[in-house]
Amino acid sequence: MQPEQAQTTDVELLHAVAHGDERALAHIYDRYRVVLFGLLVRILNSREEAEDVLQEVFLQVWRRAADFDEKRGRPFTWLVTLARSRAIDRLRALASRERVAQAGAREESEQISDAASDTIRAEQRDLVTNALAQLPDEQKRALMLAYFDGLTQSEIATRLGAPLGTVKTRMRAGMTKLRELLANKSESFGF
Amino acid sequence: MIHEEYKEMLSAHALAALDHDAANVLNAHLSQCATCRDELVQWNAAAATLALAASTAEPSPKVRERILDRIRAEAQNAQPDSAVKVVAGPQVLPFKQPPRNVWQSIGSLGAIAAAVIFAALLVSLIILWKQNRDAHVELTKLSNETKTLQEDLERKNKALQILAAPGTRMAELSATNMAPGASAKLAFDKNGHAMLMAKGLPAAPRGKAYQLWYIVGNKPMPGKVFTPDSTGNGVLEDQMPAVAMNSAVFAVTLEPASGMPTPTGAIYLHSGS
Repeated sequence: MQPEQAQTTDVELLHAVAHGDERALAHIYDRYRVVLFGLLVRILNSREEAEDVLQEVFLQVWRRAADFDEKRGRPFTWLVTLARSRAIDRLRALASRERVAQAGAREESEQISDAASDTIRAEQRDLVTNALAQLPDEQKRALMLAYFDGLTQSEIATRLGAPLGTVKTRMRAGMTKLRELLANKSESFGF
Repeated sequence: MIHEEYKEMLSAHALAALDHDAANVLNAHLSQCATCRDELVQWNAAAATLALAASTAEPSPKVRERILDRIRAEAQNAQPDSAVKVVAGPQVLPFKQPPRNVWQSIGSLGAIAAAVIFAALLVSLIILWKQNRDAHVELTKLSNETKTLQEDLERKNKALQILAAPGTRMAELSATNMAPGASAKLAFDKNGHAMLMAKGLPAAPRGKAYQLWYIVGNKPMPGKVFTPDSTGNGVLEDQMPAVAMNSAVFAVTLEPASGMPTPTGAIYLHSGS
């Protein structure tokens, strides 16, 4: 596992993208497309919408790579945050048009396992999955609703029928526990 | 709201789960709190790991092609009037200047401002150094002038003391052709304390000074040397030889500045035959 080397390469690629290097963008795409597309499908529950947003995300990476500041986070964090933000925006737009409504009744899209070369990320995925498994269900639920459904704390409280203060506490406790569990097991997450 | 309360909101902010008003409040705090900004970086990293909780999925290969087609089109549109067309392969684009973000611009302006301030400080330092040096020269000059005035005043005081002392005698020296208009008086008390006060003497050439002589019989006895000031005035304090007290003739000649045992130069002043 060589997280530092991979991270440095990602930073260099983003710097190259910032200087108009199309091949660097292609490399970044090849490296992150599976993770980001999986995230987008999970949020949007639609391959078609997810592919459209994935294209938007990488066009944004092309235009805004100069904004990436490695002091403010790793390339993984920057890309995932960008993709998730775009997806939530799309989700809200779709919801407002009542084209997507069945939260909790998601249908898993066609998905494939990680590429063999993506062993680092597969290992990280296992760590995250195991960490989430150790959270109490109510905490995990609060995090999932916020992250994948784009709900605010008030919306989660309404969805769960729980007091807002309780949701805040669950969310804070869940994030703290997640951070502790991952920090103890790997330094590759950037915290 | 206290700092700890803002900190408690950071993890939810990383999930973009704060309600609108709470997010605005926290953003206002973040704009002023570097500690919370650093902490938010950590929470953002933690939140991003949740993306790995989603199953991976492979997008259509067409997505990659569409993305690359779009950025090539954007690059070409960005340089529609370029006289030099770069012939690019399928994976190579003409160099594109990345957009500068506001922090880079501020950084550049900061560097320019720092250079200007540094140059201004350097110029100020040189000016102050020159002023200090000039002031030092002026101070030295004033100090020397003061010292000269003090010495002059001291001599005049002694001259007054000699003049006022009982039994003081006075001899007048008149000019020769070497110094028309010059004159001097020599006062000396009963103990031989003598004071020569001369005026109208020409400036002594470099390396030269006027020397007082006590002439007893035909034998000149050397006195001290002096140089007149810029107005031709000169004052000399001396101890008169005892043998010169009663029957001496006095003379002033121009001699080497260190003084001579016997006269070698022209006589400028003398007290009669």
